[in-house]
Amino acid sequence: MDLTRRLFLTGSTLTVAAPALLRYGLAQSEPIKVGSLVPLSGGGGPYGPEKAQAHKAVVELVNKQGGVLGRQIVLVSENSETNPEAAVRAARKMIDADRVCAILGTWASSETLGIMPLCQEANVVQIFTGSSDTLPNGDKKGLCYNLQPLNKAWCVALADLAAKRGELKIAFAGPKNDFAASMGDSFSKALEKVGGKIVGEPLYYNPNQVSYRAEAERLINTGAPALFLAGYVTDLTPVYRELVRGGYKGKVFALSFAVGPQFKQAVGTAADGILHGSPVPPVGKDTYDAYLSLVGLKPNGQVQNPYGCAAYDEMNLLLLGIASARSTEGPKIAEHIMKVANGPGERVTTFAQGAKLLAEGKSINYDGASSSADFLPNGMLKSRDFALYEIQGDKDVLLTTTTSEAEQ
Amino acid sequence: MDAYLVAILTIAGIYVILALALNLQFGLTGLVNFGVVGFFGLGAYASGIATESFHAPFIGGLAVAMATGALAGAALALLCLRLSGDFLAIVTLGFAETVRLIFNNEDWLTGGPKGLLIMTRPVLADFGRTANAWMVLGVVLTGAVLTLALMLRLAGTPYGRVLRAIREDELVPATLGKNVFVYRLQSFVIGSMLMAAAGSLYAHYVQTITPDNFTTPVAILVWMSVIVGGPGNMLGAVVGALAVVTIYEGSRFLTPWLGFLDAEQVSALRFIVIGTALILVIRFRPEGLLPEPRHTPVVPATRRPALKG
Repeated sequence: MDLTRRLFLTGSTLTVAAPALLRYGLAQSEPIKVGSLVPLSGGGGPYGPEKAQAHKAVVELVNKQGGVLGRQIVLVSENSETNPEAAVRAARKMIDADRVCAILGTWASSETLGIMPLCQEANVVQIFTGSSDTLPNGDKKGLCYNLQPLNKAWCVALADLAAKRGELKIAFAGPKNDFAASMGDSFSKALEKVGGKIVGEPLYYNPNQVSYRAEAERLINTGAPALFLAGYVTDLTPVYRELVRGGYKGKVFALSFAVGPQFKQAVGTAADGILHGSPVPPVGKDTYDAYLSLVGLKPNGQVQNPYGCAAYDEMNLLLLGIASARSTEGPKIAEHIMKVANGPGERVTTFAQGAKLLAEGKSINYDGASSSADFLPNGMLKSRDFALYEIQGDKDVLLTTTTSEAEQ
Repeated sequence: MDAYLVAILTIAGIYVILALALNLQFGLTGLVNFGVVGFFGLGAYASGIATESFHAPFIGGLAVAMATGALAGAALALLCLRLSGDFLAIVTLGFAETVRLIFNNEDWLTGGPKGLLIMTRPVLADFGRTANAWMVLGVVLTGAVLTLALMLRLAGTPYGRVLRAIREDELVPATLGKNVFVYRLQSFVIGSMLMAAAGSLYAHYVQTITPDNFTTPVAILVWMSVIVGGPGNMLGAVVGALAVVTIYEGSRFLTPWLGFLDAEQVSALRFIVIGTALILVIRFRPEGLLPEPRHTPVVPATRRPALKG
């Protein structure tokens, strides 16, 4: 064959262009990397494993069904240790070494806030569960979505219950951390709205103290007819013991995750009469049951895996966002998550349903396992179910379930 | 990947400074300072408050951090340097915890548990993400190299010899007319000042600091760096810090080969690896990877009375 000028030109152009074409082609078939950064030890240790499991289950299911945009999903898992320092190092590895397009699953507000500057700088999407009212402040690029109601919403539900019970004078105490501190502010506002008042100054104590007698004495001395103790099980148990020992007779409000079986076992019958509440997954809803069966649990009418179901939504929302954006660039994904979560469009409850409709060019509205997964413009959750309980003879008796709307 | 290496090197550089500072206090002078993280945190917060609340430039923040570290070191040393060994360890541990509680409770100054958001960066101008990361690495490495040069110089001078003598037996330098207390004070203050400088670099690197960033595990990593590297040997502290950060961060890359373990077990494995490494070093090489060079004393020639006849 003669080497004509035309053949030479075409051939050499193709040869020179080959690497670029290959790179483009490979990028289109390369797996999509997603970071799962959950607390597997530390304060969030009890909840991290169920979140990690939910992320993994969704990814395995989606990969089996052919992936997203024809590309497989690779999950990069790290432990945040419920510590912002460890979370930042893990996030750096995910962003710079693995080049993930999103980091899902941070639990404590301190870790979410800690990795936020990194994610903002690198255009990485963050989807998490957190309650601190300061969470939306650092999100300048609209890359964050939160599947947990903020304290503001949480406190409205509790203050309503207090008012219904005729408890309008309540003293507040909680550990000195971001969560409880912003809860104190929000609760006093919510209580004032229903005509009540916080007695004295909100009392913040240091977690991991050896003794809480002084704190309990101060609470008793306020003479408040009711107390709201916004602690975790580790500090609520000793504080409550000291209150009982000191002869406190008033009503006590607490958060459900702090007064679980561990607490009831520790204080015995003294737990009777405690009122508590927290955001709950919609027990009995098809989406929640679908999540439970995916991770191998049986729906039993009770709240199970309160954070796992949120993690299931985190992953579904992200993957639907990618499918809708047809891109793995953070800002584009974030923009489309809002579209698939809030609609308007056809109701979908899994990635497979959503991806099919998106491929047909229809718009969708994702309905989640932890909530309906609708967001405010700042990425915070619009509303979520709350359940309020009273402890009676070792059992949680459901008083009421409400849906609390977040304020704008 | 190279961006990640830049990040790891930056963290390693900060740990190198901390390890060198501790090596001055513990390795050379024998002061057991378990409050490393207290000075580290003080530096971070002092620098953050100076730049964010008072709009000082990064250099100003660094200077304020070093001054604060030195003052706190001097105050603590004057209070308790006469305590020795275990007692000093307990007091410094208490100091670190107190400092953390102050960060957590004085919201008006430190932002409380929400922490401090730091926008001032040690870069010339914003040239984009990659360039910024390289510039921060440059600043941190410059700091680490300067600290190493200072420490090598200190350790080689007669001054360093007195510190080592105090470590071995403080009675001996005292009988030679050395003011042991002043030497210990100086060593403690210089070390604290450098730890605070590392804190300042750290704060402007991570950009969000909360009281949770300054818990005892950080101090334990620094202690491991010194013990693994070789107490008393400045290059050893550098090697130790690099080794500890490499193990700590490198173990992340084992995950793909450990498919039979879940994420929780892999993260536990990291601590098991580090703990085992520490035990092995202490058991089989207690003097560290790079032991302190032995200073063989010059033995004076034995004088023999000349025998006549």
